Amino acid sequence: MNLEEYRTLFVIGCLIFILAAAAPMLSMVISLPKGSERFSELWVLGPNHMAEDYPFNVTIGGQYNLFVGVGNHMGYSAYYIVYLKFRNRIQPLPDASSSKPSSLPPLYEFRAFVADGATWENPVSFSILEASRRSNSFFIHRICINDVVFSVDSSSNWDSENRGFYYQLFFELWLYNTTSQSFEYHNRFVGIWLNMTRS
Amino acid sequence: MDKKVDWMDAMSTLKLFAVILILFAFVFPIFTFTTPASSTEDIAVSAINRAEEVIALAYQSVLEAEKAGANVSGLLTQLNVAGQLLAEARTSYRLEDFDRAVRSANLCYENGEKVRFDAQRLKDLATKDGRQLFWWTTVGSIVGVGAVIFGGFLGWQLFKRRYFQRMGTEVVSDES
Repeated sequence: MNLEEYRTLFVIGCLIFILAAAAPMLSMVISLPKGSERFSELWVLGPNHMAEDYPFNVTIGGQYNLFVGVGNHMGYSAYYIVYLKFRNRIQPLPDASSSKPSSLPPLYEFRAFVADGATWENPVSFSILEASRRSNSFFIHRICINDVVFSVDSSSNWDSENRGFYYQLFFELWLYNTTSQSFEYHNRFVGIWLNMTRS
Repeated sequence: MDKKVDWMDAMSTLKLFAVILILFAFVFPIFTFTTPASSTEDIAVSAINRAEEVIALAYQSVLEAEKAGANVSGLLTQLNVAGQLLAEARTSYRLEDFDRAVRSANLCYENGEKVRFDAQRLKDLATKDGRQLFWWTTVGSIVGVGAVIFGGFLGWQLFKRRYFQRMGTEVVSDES
């Protein structure tokens, strides 16, 4: 190897060391975009904290337990509202294609502040306190959620195909938008079906 | 005849007065009872709105502190407590339990104010620490780069001298 070649090698070596020495400062000045997708999770677990044994055949006065959870992968600490809503088969669900929430009023709500990469979970207990049945219709008058009693007055007609009186308890996820300074539906919902036939 | 007309006028006036009195007796309780109820509702609405605003501001401050590099996990725990109180207040309001709604909203407001203050303090500390860290990192990097350039230059000179010495030795040995 001649001197010119040695010099090139030396310069390359020096440049690598210079880059290594300047790396801490460069990392503070240049912020690289985070490549990962930003999203939130919403889930419901059964009473044993597993995705099984969800309450389905519900009786009046019986108490049923669930867990609702949120996972944050938004890249910052997020502020969420989880609305709990109750509907019969014909009342509207959220529309995933147009990102519209259900027009039903919420019965109960949870507010959660979740750090990026962290999760939040809360127990939900519910029981049907008062209901009545008239031939092919079932009426739920009062429902208790986490020890708070709500009047619902919701009726459900007999579903001859699935043979039951069906209702749905579902959760909607809303996210606080710091730009608009308001909550926006985050296009996530999850729910469980309840069959009142054995009541 | 005139006396009879006067008497009848007086009677009709009395009747009208009686009707008004009865009407008033029925209408008065509506006003007296609805005014406090609606004012309690108004108080609940304003307490909830106030709590809602302070929580949003506290959350903004926490985000700013987080951006400044502060560890905000403790603040998020406090915000979750305040958020739970706000949810309770809103649920109580929906159930028309306005007194409870006001109580929860006021507690939420106090917690939110505390979080906002703590977040601001934490943000200032993190910004100060960040500036110091940036300063020391910059100085460290500049010194490091300088040392590499200076060391490289010295090293190259030393290498070059040895290289020529060796070349000279080789030339001499070839001539001999």
